Parts: sequence; C-alpha cells; structure tokens
Amino acid sequence: MRRLRVLRGYLFTVLGIAIGVAGLVSLGAMSERIVRFIEGGDRFVLGQISVAGRGMGMGTGFTAGGILPAAMIRAISDVPGVQGVQAQIMLPLDPSTSQFMTVTQELVLGVDLSVPTPNRHYRTLPVRSGRYLQQGDSKAAVVGASFAASRGLSVGSHITLEGEDYEVVGVLDRMLTAPDRFIMVSIADARAQWIAKDRLLRTVLASGGMALTASDLNTGAAVGWRDGDDPDTVALRIKERVPGVNVQLPSELSRLLRSSTAFFSALLVGIGALAFVIGGLSLANTMAAAIFERIRDFGVKRALGASDLQLGGEVLAESLAVTMVGGLGGICLARALGWFIDRYLAQAQQLFYFSPRLLGGALVFSILLGAAAAIYATARVVSLSPAEAIRRGA
Amino acid sequence: MLRAVGLVKSYRAPTGKPIVVLAGVDLSVKSGELVVVTGPSGSGKSTLLNVLGLLEDGDAGEIWFEDTRVSALRRAAKSRARGRSVGFLFQSFLLLPSLTALDNVLLAARYVRRSSAATRQRAVDLMQEVGVGDRMDHFPAQLSGGEQQRVAFCRAVLNDPPLLLADEPTGNLDDANGAVILDALRGRARAGAAVVIVSHRPEAAVGAGAVYRLRGGVLES
Repeated sequence: MRRLRVLRGYLFTVLGIAIGVAGLVSLGAMSERIVRFIEGGDRFVLGQISVAGRGMGMGTGFTAGGILPAAMIRAISDVPGVQGVQAQIMLPLDPSTSQFMTVTQELVLGVDLSVPTPNRHYRTLPVRSGRYLQQGDSKAAVVGASFAASRGLSVGSHITLEGEDYEVVGVLDRMLTAPDRFIMVSIADARAQWIAKDRLLRTVLASGGMALTASDLNTGAAVGWRDGDDPDTVALRIKERVPGVNVQLPSELSRLLRSSTAFFSALLVGIGALAFVIGGLSLANTMAAAIFERIRDFGVKRALGASDLQLGGEVLAESLAVTMVGGLGGICLARALGWFIDRYLAQAQQLFYFSPRLLGGALVFSILLGAAAAIYATARVVSLSPAEAIRRGA
Repeated sequence: MLRAVGLVKSYRAPTGKPIVVLAGVDLSVKSGELVVVTGPSGSGKSTLLNVLGLLEDGDAGEIWFEDTRVSALRRAAKSRARGRSVGFLFQSFLLLPSLTALDNVLLAARYVRRSSAATRQRAVDLMQEVGVGDRMDHFPAQLSGGEQQRVAFCRAVLNDPPLLLADEPTGNLDDANGAVILDALRGRARAGAAVVIVSHRPEAAVGAGAVYRLRGGVLES
C-alpha cells in the first residue's frame, strides 16, 4: 500500500522515465530491425556460392540478369568440390523498379524443386501456415510474411501474376530479411513469368537467334560445396573452369554486402548513440529532478533522525522501483507504438524488432542509470544540513 | 537537560560580508521547564533553534544534552541524537504530502527503530487526544492548518523526546488553534520535557519558566 502511494507521488517521474525509455527502445528496435536484415542477408550469401548468367544488361546478376543456360549448370555440377546446384530465377515483381535493386524490393523467386536447396544456412525456409513448395506444384505460391500481410493473403488465397492465377499454399514465418517480400513459385512457373515480363527475351526467343530451351531460362544458381572444402576455393574453381558466368565468392559477396550496407551500419551507430544520449539524459534528469523536488521531505526526515545511510537506502529503493516501473512502462509504450506503426502506417512492413537483448538491455540500462542519478542527487541532498534542506525546499 | 554555551553562527551575505546571527548565546533549560524566546523578525530565533536541535552546525560553542556534548558528535551520531532526544514543531508544519496523517506521525518512530504495534497505538491515542483522531487517513492537503499542526505535534512527541523545540508553532494558526498547541506544549513541559518556544505571540509566554529576547545575537532576559 505504501509502495503504491510512493509510486503515486512519483507519477510524473514514472511517466517521464517511461517516455525516455520508450524513445530509447523505439530507436533501438529500428536499429535491431536493420541489423537483422543485414545479418540475414550476410548469412544467406555465406551459405552458398551464388552464380549468375552474364549479359543482357538488365541489372546482371540474380535479379532479371543474364541467362544461365542448362549446359553451364551441368558444367558447374562437374567442378570438383561442388555439391548440389539449384537453378533459380529471381525476378522483380514490378519490373519498373528492377534497375534500382532496392533492398525492399518484392521479388518472384522460382526454384528447381528437383534439387535440394544447397544453401547451408537456409536448407528450408520456416513456414508459418500451409506448406512449402513441392516438386510438381504448378500455379502454386509460397509467400513471405510481409508480402502476405501487405496483400491480406493467407493459405488458400489467390493472386494473379502476369495474368495467371496462383493459389497461395504457404505463408512463411517473418524472417526480418529478404524472403519476407518474396513470392516463391516453381521454376517452370517463374520461367513463364519471365517470358511474359521481358519483351526482349520474347523477341530473342521468337527470332530463333539463340538456341534456347525452357531449361536454359535461369537467372542464376545456388551452388553448394562438399564438407571440408573451402567455399571461396570452390567458387574460384568454378570461375576458372566454367567461362561466361558471374561467380561470387561467398566471403567477397559478404564483404560487398557489408560495404554496401556500411551506411546503414553507420546510421545504426548514430541512432544507438542518439537513443543512448537522449533516453539516458531524459531518464537521469527526470530522476534527479524528482529527488531535488523532494528536498524538503528529506530535510524533515533528517530532522526526525534519519541518518545518511537510512535516507540513501530509502531513496535508492524508491528510485529503483520507480525506474523499474518507468522502464517497463516505456517498453510497453514502445511496443505499442511499434505495433501501431507497423500495423497502420508501415503498410504491413515490420519496421521495429524488439529483441530480447534490446528489451533486457534497456531495462537494465534504465535501472542502472536511474540508480546512478538517484545516488548523485541523494549525495547532494544529504550533504546539506537538515535546516538548509528544509529552507531550500520551502 | 539542554545547555548551550557560547553559540556563534554567522552567514555570508551575497556581497561576501559575514552576518553574525548568534554572537555567543548561552542558554540552559531544565527538564520540565518551558522557555520562550522572542525577538524581531530576522533576529536569529529560528537559527538558534536549528543550532540547538542539531539541524545545522554552529560556528563555535557547545551544546549539551544532559551529560553529552552533542555538538561534537559526528553526523550519524547527531542524527541518532536528534531522533531520540529532540522533537520539532515548525511554523509551516512540514508534513510529508504523500503520507497520511497517521503515517506522518509514525515517521518519527521509523528512524529510531521503534516501529511496533505499541508505537502505532500510541500514535492513534495521541491523535485522539489532540482531536485529530478522525483524520488519521487524511493526507495533509485534506487537513486545515490547525489540524496539520496538531498532527505535527503528535509526530514531535511520539518518541517522548526529552527536548521539544517549537519554531513559531502558532504562526500560521488562528487564536483558537494556537491556544490548543500552546496548551499541548505546556502539557509536555509539565510531563517533564524541556520545551523551547520561539514566538512573537505574547500568550506564548504564559506559564513560561523564562522568557528571553534575542537581540544583537545574544539573549537578554
């Protein structure tokens, strides 16, 4: 009962701390979200050797890049150290944005389901509802969590791609990385979509200028390596032995990814520092001000016989309770804010990731900082004589 | 019970010039005696009371509670001496706004580790004696000035301190409430406590064993 009264007396302090912590946690959650995205991409590129076809100039690489014919895929399979080559097609859902290769782009991914996924870190993708694609599926799609949320799709829903009707057979768990925006189909369906999307490809095929069969229409391949082999060495071997392909060394691709996201990393450091300073200052200032505001009460208590130690212990216990309640309140406030923004303002994208380490860290940080501010303020208060404290608080 | 010898206290003005408030005050108050100190505003009456009650240190001089020279004690021992030996009554009551009237009274017991069912019962009895028994669960903001001072009086006497120091205890009260508080203080003196009252009011001197006037930093009879 007494604790409730104390907290009621500290209501505005609790609110002040909650707002400070909410700011800290919200900014931190946005940082965590970006970290997860970058880490997810890094994990992906380090799990496989990525090979793409050369040519055609439409953003050569995985996204609507050059053709990687079946013969080249067979040649890659024969390279020593290679274990498993999965032909893939990656197309922008909206070709008008393909040249920008944005990290938030929605992509169609066609995979050859006759070959197990070679990526060591993503053997399977986590399915939230329904099932993953199976060999023999036709006009069936598995969609990423953000993709599904933005279009209100669920298992059994239908979606039209290049004039064809697809049934959603599965929805992935939210992964906070690229597959959240994927729509996955069989490679045969993806080939049909590529032809439908790409006028140049249709012209080439119609002219008969290139001897292509359906199995030649691949934008790339995911290549695995045997246990004990070094992926970079295997990638270099592919480069040497199979001319006419773009081979990315996993470590090089990882380095490229990290350098291309260096801006985000710097941004993260900035956001983190800003959150630390703003949230921390707000919290410490609120706590110290709350104690200085009660300077007269402390003077009275000392007049009644409270020793420095008794008063310090009392204030510290109260401030710990107050910062804990304020910290938890701030976390709830930040989560509510994040939920609201993700739900109503971010078009079903997830902008915030409230990781356990962030929430735990924010709570510990707020309690420690609150306690430090309380100790500082209490030390200042008890250094005054009781009469002076009463005078100043009057 | 209380003996002060050669108390000196000065403050520094914003200009840096020292202002001498107490210039060698000697005072002795026996157990069961009521002493009244008068003097114009700004003469140093409150400072004298603060120094006597160990709420602030003097620049020189000695203060004795019985046979103990309390002015020489360290901070923690001074706190203990304050809690056990001195009860304070202030003009502005100084009740804690976040506590009920009863909790304000019980606060006096917390720091001398006397919190018990018996202490609580004594607090209740005291509050009933001075007519605020029906206000125990009220917060200070819900009480009149007279009621607040009665609660403050209960807090001051809860531990039965041998010394009671009252700084303009009727300054914010009407005549009727002022009379109640002065009667209560006289009652404590009759019960054996040494009581020092600083007051402008002539009626405070009624029944006093000694009345002093503080002028020029010294006490005059």
